[in-house]
Amino acid sequence: MAFVVSPSPHIHAPASTASIMRDVLIALAPATLVSLVFYGWAELLLVAVCICACMLTEWAIERFLQHSPSTIGDCSAAVTGLLLALNLPSSCPWWVAVIGSIFAIGVVKMTFGGLGQNVFNPAIAARVFLLVSFPSIMTDWSAPASISSAWGFSQVDAVSGATPLGVVSEGLRSGMTLDEIFAAHSFSYKEMLFARVGGSAGELSALALLVGFVYLLARKVIKATTTLSIWATIIGISMVFSFINPSSYTDPLFNMLTGGVLLGSIFMATDYVTSPMSNTGCVIYGFGIGLQTMLIRYFGAYPEGMSFAILLMNAFVPLINRFCHQPKFGRAK
Amino acid sequence: MENLSTFSIGGVHPDDRKISRDCPIEVLPLPDKVFVSMAQHLGAPAKPLVVPGDTVKVGQLIAEPGGFISACVHSPVSGTVKSVGLREDLAGNKVTHIEIVVEGDKWEESIDRTPDLVTELPEDKAWILDRIKQNGVVGLGGATFPTHVKLAPPPGKTADFLLINGAECEPYLTSDYRVMMERGAEVLVGAALMQKALDGPRCIIGIEENKPEAIDHLSELLSGLADRNPAYRHIEIRPLKKKYPQGGEKQLIDALTGRQVKSMGLPIDVGAVVQNIGTTLAVYEAVQKNKPLITNVLTVTGDCLPVERQHNYLFRIGVPLSFIMEQAGGVPEGAEKIISGGPMMGKAVARVDATTVKGSSAILYLTGEQTLRRPEGPCIRCGRCADACPMGLEPFLLKKLAEAGDFTALEKNAVHDCIECGCCQYSCPANLSLLDTIRIAKGDMLRIIKSRPKN
Ligand code: SF4
Ligand code: SF4
Repeated sequence: MAFVVSPSPHIHAPASTASIMRDVLIALAPATLVSLVFYGWAELLLVAVCICACMLTEWAIERFLQHSPSTIGDCSAAVTGLLLALNLPSSCPWWVAVIGSIFAIGVVKMTFGGLGQNVFNPAIAARVFLLVSFPSIMTDWSAPASISSAWGFSQVDAVSGATPLGVVSEGLRSGMTLDEIFAAHSFSYKEMLFARVGGSAGELSALALLVGFVYLLARKVIKATTTLSIWATIIGISMVFSFINPSSYTDPLFNMLTGGVLLGSIFMATDYVTSPMSNTGCVIYGFGIGLQTMLIRYFGAYPEGMSFAILLMNAFVPLINRFCHQPKFGRAK
Repeated sequence: MENLSTFSIGGVHPDDRKISRDCPIEVLPLPDKVFVSMAQHLGAPAKPLVVPGDTVKVGQLIAEPGGFISACVHSPVSGTVKSVGLREDLAGNKVTHIEIVVEGDKWEESIDRTPDLVTELPEDKAWILDRIKQNGVVGLGGATFPTHVKLAPPPGKTADFLLINGAECEPYLTSDYRVMMERGAEVLVGAALMQKALDGPRCIIGIEENKPEAIDHLSELLSGLADRNPAYRHIEIRPLKKKYPQGGEKQLIDALTGRQVKSMGLPIDVGAVVQNIGTTLAVYEAVQKNKPLITNVLTVTGDCLPVERQHNYLFRIGVPLSFIMEQAGGVPEGAEKIISGGPMMGKAVARVDATTVKGSSAILYLTGEQTLRRPEGPCIRCGRCADACPMGLEPFLLKKLAEAGDFTALEKNAVHDCIECGCCQYSCPANLSLLDTIRIAKGDMLRIIKSRPKN
């Protein structure tokens, strides 16, 4: 009888690429559910379209252009699809979602060489691409209206369909102070925390996103470094500014709960492929994202900024990796 | 047990699987023939002193050291030398073996075969070292480095610590655990002997927390010995947090003393000497009983091996693996790979008729599902390999650099520091064969470094 002979190690940990990606999908489940509850069928359609379009694009490119075995089984395309769906307004037409999916997988991921090779996070890049290409569709945040009364929350901006960040940005530009804007629109932190903040599906409920974060940490899928670094930066900057001038600069809690900060910092900035390898690198990267986000929010033309900030810092990752390494054994002192 | 110490960087937690932990040590019957390898220690192979036709006794010197770093080899059986020649070891490499046909079991008279525990320590440290050397004791923890060399630090260096490795951090292996449970007192005497040979450094026995019985048992024996003899009052037993590769020399030193051996350095550079449990027992037998290293304890185990066929055997070193496998009821159903040693660092057995050597610690059967390599995917840059690496290396990077043949960058990223523990490859979700590539690059790198002029 011939036995297998190969070098050590002879056993392998249970985790695989597919199991990690499945964990990310599971971590996104609470946020997805909340958005389905609030936005209903339209949102379900959007999620289904994005996931299917992403997987199909990957399959087709591998089948017809690269003639290589299909990798959709590793679930990374499904993760991209779901993240993209959660980054779109629920009113987004299906064909825009399809264009976004094809861009994410076809352009951002596959042309760089597929999983592990892409410089930019496909879902974020696609969102920014759509934002630039279809600005009116991408900013039509018709706030969840139908179910809100059943949940006992007041109805917010269902008519204007603007996000809190958009409202604030608009209001500040027209010369109102923050207090006046908040009073005029009556959104409360409680609503932001549990749901009901107008915005993209994935930004609906901070709590659902945090549950996902805890799950990812518990399963050791991600380390907290990047996320915490982003949070600390955003909180730090907004604390200083809102302390100096509370009437024109939004406060830390507002900034944490709006504009995809949680979704971005937990699920997009921590993408393995497009974030640094070392802990020091992750701290720098997170700081960069937080800083960009706040600069754009306070001084830029766009009301939010998370997507741009992540995309920009993605570009710095190779550089960060060059200079930041893990400490080696026996080299201290 | 909170706040247990362990090594500071990396490490993994493979499932323990100590299935054979409660199987007492059994004496393996004598085979018809043994094959004694001349290359069962690190360094120069030993030179045979016998020719075909010679009769030998158990414990008789049959090969002498072939250099400064080398070791004596003794006959594990009594009988007639049948041949001296090349034979394949378990990996298929040709090595000189002495073949002996077993006749009876006649031992050298100089060996004390009584079971009495001798706790009085000899006064003369040179005598202790000489006994260890003459009796062919080598490290049984993996590297099989000649023990007498390790116990004689080079001029200018002194040992502050004698560390006894009772971690047994590899999954499945239980031989060290059984030795601690059944031969604990002898192990403690062995530790005291080495402490004496090294001029009395602090002696710490590190045992992982998953073996609380061994920790308690040794602690009890130790306090009994210390009550009667002050020589035993400077040995400590320290529980360690369970983490692989705790038993790695550099990791154990870090865990027990907080000192880190520098890149390309030796343990003695930070004042440490590490010996494992099996070696410590061998030192006891060599010094107090004048018994050469001709037996060792080996675990036969595996998930596919029925519980009643799990064993811890006291075997004569030179018995073919196939003989031990037969004694344990043959290859179990479902086994697709046979490992000599543990699943993380052991060697796959290419030839079952290969012989056991001083460092043999286990025969492990693995099923296809456990051991067959899964298809490799692209690196997803998850960083798990780097997080797992106990040397703080970046395996994903080393693999890429090795494939590009960039030795300047490989050296900068310390490929030569790799201890081949396998943590990286074990952890990689993309199933990349990281260590396969790194091992080859490390070998080349070390040759490049060695070929440079010294200054
Ligand atoms: S095998 Fe080498 S590179 Fe891999 S984890 Fe162990 S020391 Fe690090
Ligand atoms: S563990 Fe594997 S997939 Fe992850 S970074 Fe290392 S080589 Fe890449």
